[in-house]
Amino acid sequence: MRAFEIMVYRQIKRFLRAKSRVAGMIMTPLVWLTFFGIGWSGAFRETSIFGGVDYLTYLSPGIFAMAVFNQSFVSGISVIWDREFGFLKEVLVAPASRKETIAGRIFGDSVVATLQGAVILILTLFIAKINPQGIIPALGVGFVLAVAFSSFGVSIAAKMRSMEGFQMIMALVMLPLIFLSGAIYPIEFMPSWMKAIAFINPLTYAVEASRVFLTGVGGIFPLQQSLLILLTITAVMLYIAMLSFERSSME
Amino acid sequence: MQWGQIYLSVLSDLKRMYAIEVENLVKKFGDFEAVKGISFKVKKGEIFAFLGPNGAGKTTTVHILTTLLKPTSGRATVAGYDVLKDAGEVRKRIGIVFQDPSVDRDLTAYENMLVHGGVYGLKGRELKEKIEELLRFVELWEFRNKLVKYFSGGMQRRLEIARSLLHNPEVLFLDEPTLGLDPQTRAHVWSYIQAMKEEHEMTVFLTTHYMEEAEKLADRVAIIDHGRIIADGTVEELKKLVGSDVVYLKVENNAECFEIDSGTCIVLPDGRIRIDVSDAARNIPKIFEAAEERGIKILEITYHRPTLNDVFLHLTGREIRDEGGNLMKEIIRTKMRR
Repeated sequence: MRAFEIMVYRQIKRFLRAKSRVAGMIMTPLVWLTFFGIGWSGAFRETSIFGGVDYLTYLSPGIFAMAVFNQSFVSGISVIWDREFGFLKEVLVAPASRKETIAGRIFGDSVVATLQGAVILILTLFIAKINPQGIIPALGVGFVLAVAFSSFGVSIAAKMRSMEGFQMIMALVMLPLIFLSGAIYPIEFMPSWMKAIAFINPLTYAVEASRVFLTGVGGIFPLQQSLLILLTITAVMLYIAMLSFERSSME
Repeated sequence: MQWGQIYLSVLSDLKRMYAIEVENLVKKFGDFEAVKGISFKVKKGEIFAFLGPNGAGKTTTVHILTTLLKPTSGRATVAGYDVLKDAGEVRKRIGIVFQDPSVDRDLTAYENMLVHGGVYGLKGRELKEKIEELLRFVELWEFRNKLVKYFSGGMQRRLEIARSLLHNPEVLFLDEPTLGLDPQTRAHVWSYIQAMKEEHEMTVFLTTHYMEEAEKLADRVAIIDHGRIIADGTVEELKKLVGSDVVYLKVENNAECFEIDSGTCIVLPDGRIRIDVSDAARNIPKIFEAAEERGIKILEITYHRPTLNDVFLHLTGREIRDEGGNLMKEIIRTKMRR
């Protein structure tokens, strides 16, 4: 377990050092929440489409999930960076289990993403009417979500050779996943082809579950079902990431 | 039965004499053959240098020996274990300093050591003592709490050397350990490598395209070019391939070769004539006579004891640093590591 432990330590240490990057990662979701949220809140007079709460409140859990998703996915992909600039080579020549090492990195990144989510939720308390008691369970959901997407990022990184494809992944993966998760608008009103994609998107279940905890607004699925699906998808994604990292080589 | 046992034990002793054994190693990347069937052996406790220009296949070989790349064909054992079949056992016994920097820039020197130790399963007091010993060894102890991104290139290199020694490897790989360092820092790094070998009885496999580095450090040198080993031996043995002295002539017109003392003679691309002789002091007058007979007017004459550069030139007709754009590449690389 030593390699696992030390990788968690490394990821958290590095996060605590990169202050300006951290500030940037926290600012973006808050800007969304403030301007996008407050702006549309005034326009949407009819709250029934958002389960009876105002749009700003409805949006808050979505922004939280989106922030955790962004942070964890980008840190997963940044394994490429590690390969280009050395540290990964260190790991690949070490006798430690690669599965264990990468799992450590994924967990470390997930702790980091959850910490950022915590900061965002605490600041959200001042902007929107979320339930303070829901913060702890929502952070639990955030952590599982982070493991899922940090793993997804690692699996993609294991196949990529440079950061050049990163923009394309942003456009083709990250943005659609956010739009098709119910983070910004309800899934119920989507056309059926969009709904179909939303149902296979793990982010959807994290958004729904944290929305229940933070605002009491239910989604399409009952809470337990959302949590179960999220946990299952996360376990599968983690396993795929561990396998693909084990097989990755320098070539 | 008894004889058989003795035979086997002698055999295994012999096997243990070598830290690295490579047979007919080939590595292809698609159509490109980076390593074209090389064979060599490195004895335990020696410093073995792979000398050759950029792109000769040095780093590819290091990556195969450190289990990062799989060979296309051939066999290689490191510390007695096959790099393909027993990669895990090999990994436990090797340390490596990569050509490109691989330190964690957002961590301190101490944290870099701690993380590396952790990946190798070390912990507690043993790890702490070892970190202190090694950071002192490379004279970075007083900078242990400084972020590595504020380190100079030389300091980063020293940290990497210290880090690679943390788990007491049997075989240490240094891929261009002084690339991009200034001469003073280079000499500094050399002294660590020598001290390492003496104090820890470690086998060191070093790649370099600096002649002086191989001459200064290596017990034995293999010269590699275009994926093939073209000569190997001790520095003295290699120099004997050239002859004992090298004479360079700059002539006014028609540079043409003539033999003196049965040594080789080459007209270099820059128009100079190079003659290898056993004793320059005694042969230079003969060279003057021979030149005059042929109507060659000598403008300048220099001679020196052969260097490994002369050996490379002798074997390939090129200078080791002569590869097109080599210098430029190095400058770019040096900039990138900042």
